Amino acid sequence: MIKESDILKIVKEDILRVLGEERYKKTSLERIKPKVKVSGQVLRKAIEALEKKGLILLQGKFISLTKRGQPSAKNIVKKHLVLENYFKKTRSERQAHKAAHILEHYVSGEAMNNIKKLSTLKEKDVPLVEIESRKEALITNISFRGSKLFERIISMGIFPGERIKITNKIANGVVVKVKNKKFALEKNIARGIRVLEHERA
Amino acid sequence: MKELKIALIGQPNVGKSCLLNALVGPRVQISNYPGTTVEVTKAKKVFNRTKVVFEDTPGIYSISDRSEEEKVTKRVLFEEKVDKVVVVADTTSLERSLYLVLQILESGIPVVIALNFVEDAEKKGIKIDCEKLKKILHVPAVFINPLTKKGMDNLTDELLKDEKGRKTFTPRYDDHIEKAIEKISKEIKETQLPKRFVALRVLEDDMDFYGYVKDEKIFETVKEGLHEHPKVSEDISITRYGTAAFIAEKVTQITRLGREKRLQYKIDNVLLHETWGPVLTILSFSTLFGVLLFIGSLVQEALLGFTESILSPFLGNGSVVGVIVSQALYGVMAGISIALPYVFLFYLLLGLMEDVGILPRFVVNLERFLKRLNLPGKSLIPLILGLGCTVPAVRATRVLSHKKKRFCTASFLTFVPCSSRIAIIMGVVGYYGGMLLSLLVFATLLVSALIWAFMMKKLVRPETTPLILELPPYRKPSVKNIAIKSWIRMKDFVYIVIPLLAIGGAVYAVLDITGVTNIIVTPLSPLAWWLGLPPLTIIPIVFGFLQKDLTGAMLLSVLGTEIGSVLSPLQMYTFGVATTIQIPCIIALGALIKEFGFKKAILLTCTSVIYGLSFAGLVWRAFSFF
Repeated sequence: MIKESDILKIVKEDILRVLGEERYKKTSLERIKPKVKVSGQVLRKAIEALEKKGLILLQGKFISLTKRGQPSAKNIVKKHLVLENYFKKTRSERQAHKAAHILEHYVSGEAMNNIKKLSTLKEKDVPLVEIESRKEALITNISFRGSKLFERIISMGIFPGERIKITNKIANGVVVKVKNKKFALEKNIARGIRVLEHERA
Repeated sequence: MKELKIALIGQPNVGKSCLLNALVGPRVQISNYPGTTVEVTKAKKVFNRTKVVFEDTPGIYSISDRSEEEKVTKRVLFEEKVDKVVVVADTTSLERSLYLVLQILESGIPVVIALNFVEDAEKKGIKIDCEKLKKILHVPAVFINPLTKKGMDNLTDELLKDEKGRKTFTPRYDDHIEKAIEKISKEIKETQLPKRFVALRVLEDDMDFYGYVKDEKIFETVKEGLHEHPKVSEDISITRYGTAAFIAEKVTQITRLGREKRLQYKIDNVLLHETWGPVLTILSFSTLFGVLLFIGSLVQEALLGFTESILSPFLGNGSVVGVIVSQALYGVMAGISIALPYVFLFYLLLGLMEDVGILPRFVVNLERFLKRLNLPGKSLIPLILGLGCTVPAVRATRVLSHKKKRFCTASFLTFVPCSSRIAIIMGVVGYYGGMLLSLLVFATLLVSALIWAFMMKKLVRPETTPLILELPPYRKPSVKNIAIKSWIRMKDFVYIVIPLLAIGGAVYAVLDITGVTNIIVTPLSPLAWWLGLPPLTIIPIVFGFLQKDLTGAMLLSVLGTEIGSVLSPLQMYTFGVATTIQIPCIIALGALIKEFGFKKAILLTCTSVIYGLSFAGLVWRAFSFF
């Protein structure tokens, strides 16, 4: 059901990442294949496409990055590292790993930039309830203890990396604005959303 | 003729019902309140020799099994097997709609995206590249505006196309998750749904899909491969949202930053103020109630004279048939002149509040008080609806996701006087005993409700449902919209309640002629003693169990029009309390049975009657000491 061009995009980016991680050295196909995890046919197609664009050089069973390919690879590696760091920071060490792996292909530019900022910052994030009204903040993490609320919150657009603002404080919680939409959230929910004040970020 | 089944889905308040109206003509309620459609509305129309059955579903943000709305929508999508889904998308926040789109695409059902609120988005400086969106998702997409009917032809064209076998975009997850999906897919029983989708649902802890798994041992093996995803369902949601946001960003162009309109911001600062908010909410409701009672009584008086002048030629020529017919007409008259003004006016005012978008703010403000009563904030909607008629109110409890909470809320409808009960309090107690006495009845209802809440709290362990509510922007109300909505809401009343009134009147006449009334009254006379009322008043009380509008009419025919001289003020008060603390009528009982099952409905009805009668008797005893 996934479109072929879509897979190809991911595979291409994965190849570039592997090459980047190998510090631009000549790398054998044997070494790349297990890391990209696709059939030989798709891999070949991806390599062909990359070669056509002049990003890589294929020599027998070895590939290397061209001059033009190096910045692209560097970019992807960086993106991956940022996301990995981010997940290390917001989730526990044990969980931290490649949730970033797929997200790196998709996360929006703005959210990505914000995440990058977040992961370089040493300041501690605070629960949403603790920030002042009308001050914009960045969502750093969302977690609820043993509840099924996570998807509900995420699908409403309240997502790590997004900007959030408390517009009103109400008796039982807060009214927030995220992406042009207003929501009333109970205190307990607002406690599960951790943020960093935007100015400092 | 070819037949197509098409479901409309989307977030709450995104314009699904409005779109359905634009597609097939007005028949659905539209409101600026999340969660108005709690059941599926079906509508048919023939386009180019293809019969299309549209199903309008309750608003959801995602397909999971958390709330009743999601369950209903899931049933439509996966059990009734729809041919196509129209995802009504909110152009002003596309990524949220795309989240839902991606979830449907995973299920393999063909999707057409209808982009709504394009003008709103443009005002906010947001532009969507529809062609690009189509290309990325490989799914048809059209701009629509159901109010001006823009894009309706394009949409129907897309709906009629055969999309089977079209390969669309679907999100790809982390390789550990993909591996787990693959593993589970192999253990899925034969089904119409794509195995990958079922496997995903299972991984996302969707209980409804556990049944598709051949061997539950697979969960153990899969878990081993997912050490690094202790919260796999969360990681799936994150990736899906990330994908949606990525696509949304690719197709969205923001020309300038939208700012909240000053007026909107100012209104919210007052209406959502920590102290002023609740005060204003309570004031608004009191005003609403006051206006309702005032205008209602004016209209009632005018109508009473009018219907009497129309019906008088038919009334009483002494023969048996004449008595029966006149009693039946008397019942109808009571319905038209007493209850109708209240019902219609109430729904008109409620519709106005909904359309403007003020109601969700009221819910937020009253949430903390309702919580004290062990009720969730959203229960305000059915409780307010209950001031009109209990039947739609019982149905509206569906906006609550927990069964227990729904039942608790429904039980409070015992104390929320519906228009028919208001008619007793105002038309009988107030008319003959004075305004103050009727207010005393209302106060008694409130006190009895608080005592009930206290007992419920002891009986039912409180479960907390956290408040998460979208607050839509304020909109200009549309008169047409409000009128349609009010009519749909009171349709039940006109078509079911009024005929029942006629039947009730006729039955009473028959019983009276045959002398059966005495047989009813005699064994129940201890009840009259308990309430301190004359034995004959048992008849209106008993008939009131069938239909509350009969109560007033029958009290008149039993005691004559000089009620003031037969009953003391205290007796009128007791009568008012005894007849209003109840599940009001047999139709409401029917609605309860439909929603909660026979046992629970009967239990609630009996308990409420016993509670009401005991309460009235006790209060009478307490007052007669003085």
